[in-house]
Amino acid sequence: MYRRSFLERKGLTKEEIDEAFRRVPDESPSLSTTQPAVVNQGGQSQPTSNIQPQVPTQSLQPATAPSSKFGTRFHWSHALLAVGVLAISGAGTAVVFKNAVVPRLKSWIRKVVHEDDEKEDLANETDRKPTLAEEAAAAAKAAAAAASDVARASHEMLASKTEEKKYFGELLSLLDVQVQEMKSMSNSIRKLEGQSNSSGREVQVTNSRPPYTNGRTDYDSRSVRSLSPPPASVEPSATPSHPKSYMEIMSMIQRGERPPNIREINDLPPNPDQPVSNPRLAPKPKPWEATQSQGGTIYENNNGLQDNGAGPASVYSAEGSAPWWQQKNVRISEGEVEENKTGYNGGTSERPVQRSSWVPPQPPPVAMAEAAAAIRQPKKSMFEKEQQLTDEQFLARSTEVSDELQRITKISESGGVADGGGSGSLVGGNTSEIQREEEGAYYEA
Amino acid sequence: MPPFKTPFNGYAVKFSPFYEQRLAVATSQNFGILGNGRIHVIDLSPAGPIAEIAAYDTADGVYDVSWSESHDSLLVAAVADGSVKLYDLSLPPTSNPVRSLSEHTRETHSVDYNAVRRDSFLSSSWDDTIKLWTIDRPTSVRTFKEHAYCVYSAAWNPRHADVFASASGDCTARIWDVREPGSTMILPAHEFEILSCDWNKYDDAVIATSSVDKSIKVWDVRNYRVPVAVLNGHGYAVRKVKFSPHRASVIASCSYDMTVCLWDYMVEDSLIGRYDHHTEFAVGVDMSVLVEGLLASTGWDEFVYVWQHGTDPKAP
Repeated sequence: MYRRSFLERKGLTKEEIDEAFRRVPDESPSLSTTQPAVVNQGGQSQPTSNIQPQVPTQSLQPATAPSSKFGTRFHWSHALLAVGVLAISGAGTAVVFKNAVVPRLKSWIRKVVHEDDEKEDLANETDRKPTLAEEAAAAAKAAAAAASDVARASHEMLASKTEEKKYFGELLSLLDVQVQEMKSMSNSIRKLEGQSNSSGREVQVTNSRPPYTNGRTDYDSRSVRSLSPPPASVEPSATPSHPKSYMEIMSMIQRGERPPNIREINDLPPNPDQPVSNPRLAPKPKPWEATQSQGGTIYENNNGLQDNGAGPASVYSAEGSAPWWQQKNVRISEGEVEENKTGYNGGTSERPVQRSSWVPPQPPPVAMAEAAAAIRQPKKSMFEKEQQLTDEQFLARSTEVSDELQRITKISESGGVADGGGSGSLVGGNTSEIQREEEGAYYEA
Repeated sequence: MPPFKTPFNGYAVKFSPFYEQRLAVATSQNFGILGNGRIHVIDLSPAGPIAEIAAYDTADGVYDVSWSESHDSLLVAAVADGSVKLYDLSLPPTSNPVRSLSEHTRETHSVDYNAVRRDSFLSSSWDDTIKLWTIDRPTSVRTFKEHAYCVYSAAWNPRHADVFASASGDCTARIWDVREPGSTMILPAHEFEILSCDWNKYDDAVIATSSVDKSIKVWDVRNYRVPVAVLNGHGYAVRKVKFSPHRASVIASCSYDMTVCLWDYMVEDSLIGRYDHHTEFAVGVDMSVLVEGLLASTGWDEFVYVWQHGTDPKAP
């Protein structure tokens, strides 16, 4: 009330003081309670009086409670703003934290872990090195063991080889003993056979098998000439057919001795460039080289070549018969006119004279004509007929023979198929010979 | 005709294609095992013994001999030291041999002269090869190496100048053409070693082979799966076969059973002659080209027999 009194002294009337107190709210409680009511009612009319005294109290109160009285209008937005700022700052810090701090942390952790791993690897490597060395040592030990095994095995092999050699030597000596026994046996057998010839052939027959086996088994042994070719391989088996000296020579060779009868001979050409002398004779056509003029040439050759065998030819011509090797047969054939056995042989014996260089210009012996005809026949034929020919017949038929010869040469040229060939009268004329041939076909020694 | 006695064991006999009465004989000392050799050239005389007109000594045994078809005085010899030697009868003995061709690394077992070309010859050897030679060359023209074992014989085809056949211890016979690099045909002819082969003079596709299995087989090379004929009768290995120059189907053979046999393979019972004059292995046989029916044989009994077919070889 101080103020009132104050104001009254100044000269304000009571009404004015009330009006002021109304306008400016006063701190006194009684006044404050009435103020809100006054404010709430809207202080257009009545509040004016009360406002003045209340205004100053109102101004005091916001100062003491600035926040509550000041934030009456800005309260929500201010709060929102603050929350927003807080949220943003929080988010920012979170982001920063995420981007910078956490990676750092992670890397630090990784480093630590890596360090740990490295530490472990180092530990492992150091562990591994010792294991390799151990393994190498183990391998070396195994190799040494294997080498010792190999050495042992080779020792054993050598020992067995020497044993085998021993046995082989024993075997060889036993074989030698057996060979000696066999040789003595064969010698004794030969002696026996020398006493009785009749047993020779029988023994031969029984020895028919060994040639095979010897021929086979001696394939490999080529070092000694006597063992490699089949002649030598067959010989040991054919006991009766060898003279003693063969076995002796074989045994000498096998012992390494040299037979005493061998001479040192120099068989090299004295002049390796020695020119070969010129031939004195022209080559003669072969019997199978059938040419048309062959028959004629043969006769001419025979006549022309007489100088080579002048001596014998003259002898023959003087005798008027063939050389000795045909002479015999002429006798035989003449003696065995009706013998079928030797017919073939007689015939063959007659033929050669035709080509003989010894055939003199005189007509050859009786049987020649038929023989000449028979020569060219591809089929075997008998020649009893020739034996019956006489010189007269030969002279008469000499021309016929040459014609027949030529015809026959043609037939033989055509491949020897004269059996069915068109040899005409010749075949017909020889049928009787053929028949005789078939009756007694074979010569028996 | 009494036989001709040789100092050494006989290995081969051949008639001369120029002279009817002439033969060449190849002999070896000590059965050809180890020793010298000798070549004899003998002439038949009309009345009397066989005469020797030349003899050539060699350091090693002579296994085969062949007459030249171009030179009447030329001989080719297969020597056991692997050489092939040429002898000229018209030259004095001191000038002989005129050639010694040493290329084979083992024994030369046979020689054969080409009767068609007349300028070349073959040598077969135990070194598994066959060599072709000509008279004018100091070295072989060709070497045929295909056989797996000793080649015992090679024979020229009588009609085709460049074709020949070979017989080997590898149990095959082969046909060759000198114009071809290798053999043109392989005939697994026998189960055992084949010792000899020869061509049919009248059928240029037919060949005969003889073997240790005691048989002779006749083959047609156009159909060589099955033989045309199998000739059995020898008691031991058949050492040599020879087709007759005069008869298309006649074959002469000699064997370790000491016989010489004559066969006609076109006939059912093929054996047409058997001669057992030898007292040892009969190793060489030949049929004369100039004289039909004339046979010659030699053996380890050191005799050479010449006789006419149908006669007794030992008849005096």
